[in-house]
Amino acid sequence: MLEFLIPNNVLCHAVEAMFFASIGCAILSVLITQMNIASIGFTMSHAAFAGGAAGVFFGLPMMISATALSVLTALVMGPLSYRTRMHTDTTLGVLFGTMMALAIFFIALMQSTGRGFDASALLYGNVVSLYREEIYALALIMLVIILLITLFSKEITAITFHRKMAEISGIRVQPVYYLLLLLIAIMVALCLPIVGGLLLYVWLVTPAAIAYQFCATIRQMFIAAPIVAACTSVIGAFVGITYSLPVGPLTAVLFSGVFVSAVALSPKRRVKNQTY
Amino acid sequence: MTVQESCSLIDLKDVWTTYEGASCPVIKGVSFTIKAGEFVVIGGPNGAGKTTLLEAITGLLPLVRGTVTVCGKGVPHEGTTVRCNVGYVIQNFDFHPFTPYTVEEVVRMGRYGRIGWFKRESKEDFEVAQDAMRKLGIEHLKDELIGKLSGGQQQKVLIAHNLAKKPSILLLDEPFSNLDLITRDEVSSLLCQVCDSGVPVLMVSHAFDSLPDRDIRVLVMQGGHMVLDSHSAAGNVADLIRSVPVAG
Repeated sequence: MLEFLIPNNVLCHAVEAMFFASIGCAILSVLITQMNIASIGFTMSHAAFAGGAAGVFFGLPMMISATALSVLTALVMGPLSYRTRMHTDTTLGVLFGTMMALAIFFIALMQSTGRGFDASALLYGNVVSLYREEIYALALIMLVIILLITLFSKEITAITFHRKMAEISGIRVQPVYYLLLLLIAIMVALCLPIVGGLLLYVWLVTPAAIAYQFCATIRQMFIAAPIVAACTSVIGAFVGITYSLPVGPLTAVLFSGVFVSAVALSPKRRVKNQTY
Repeated sequence: MTVQESCSLIDLKDVWTTYEGASCPVIKGVSFTIKAGEFVVIGGPNGAGKTTLLEAITGLLPLVRGTVTVCGKGVPHEGTTVRCNVGYVIQNFDFHPFTPYTVEEVVRMGRYGRIGWFKRESKEDFEVAQDAMRKLGIEHLKDELIGKLSGGQQQKVLIAHNLAKKPSILLLDEPFSNLDLITRDEVSSLLCQVCDSGVPVLMVSHAFDSLPDRDIRVLVMQGGHMVLDSHSAAGNVADLIRSVPVAG
């Protein structure tokens, strides 16, 4: 898509993938942080990781198996908390452990049976290994996320502010909540080949955390987070490919650097000097 | 008495309800009806089931037994429809200082359920929200972040949020708890106006000195049961509630 701007095909693919993935994840990160469901994002990124490993083991397309397990995890979270009469965080802790164990089980099994599986692609991702179709899928999910967030802006705004008050206002919270979980699950699965199961969480939380340092309203966060994420990710891809550095981990470190700088420069930390 | 005043807007028949995961019901066999224009105070000791009763009326809790009808709709099956028309000011709220929502945004959110899916806010929605802020005297705070306000100001915002809904019924859980004495009187007077317009007001409260000077229906809960349903002048509500013997 951007070949007219970036003649290097490998770099062009990497930049495109990082651009679409970062914008989609950044929009979701605003919702994840404002709804205090960061642990859900964490669990789902590991579910995608386990799904990817299972997919490779059974010879299924990694993206489909990762999406399937992520979506399944999103669907069972709520009912499982209810049935076990436990706090959601505890249930998520159990699910996270299970997903991590599943992923390690399949990876270890492939290595012990001599199937020559390199786990690093699943763990850290490899942005240059993407097929064109995968980049199109990322672009599509990014557009779907933008479209749905715009369509349901009222409901999402109310739910992110206060879930109980949104319900009292007459908003059907459950369908919107599950729609968001579904979007997170699909986005997480599509991003797995780019940044890997371990680093994915950075894209799902850090952009909003950075935007929050400078934004007063949620509307501003929805604009600032994708811009920050896209700039950081594209720079990460450029530097990584140009200097043969691992793109995913490098971009994750860049995100952390931007976050630290944002915290240092944040107007929210400054106490106004007033004369009394 | 007009036709509207004679119809019951809330009708509870032998209602038993419980929280998810709880072993025994919190509300046990409660029945009453509320008509248009009634001002109702729900009293009773802590843990008596007062807040649970409000949540059962709004359909936020499942019923174990009995029926709840609000504005002719069955709860909880038609809970979402009911909640679009019922204002409910919750008791416990705690907003982080940098919660990224302005006062105006929060008040406008009160309209969102009524507007419906895929529709944008109309000019009328904006005007109703402005009017609600004006009534509560918080217009000047409209661009402030809600988390930056004091507890009392936040309480006013939540009341404005519910008034913006133009509710058919207004439920309030401890609405005076964060308010200073002058603001209590202002809110009390506002609730009186709401009530006079035909909208019944149901309030869980322990601050009886702030009640409006009018005939007040007093419901007293104890251990999930309704133990008193009576009428009183505002000045006698506290004595009436104290006179109810505490069940052993």
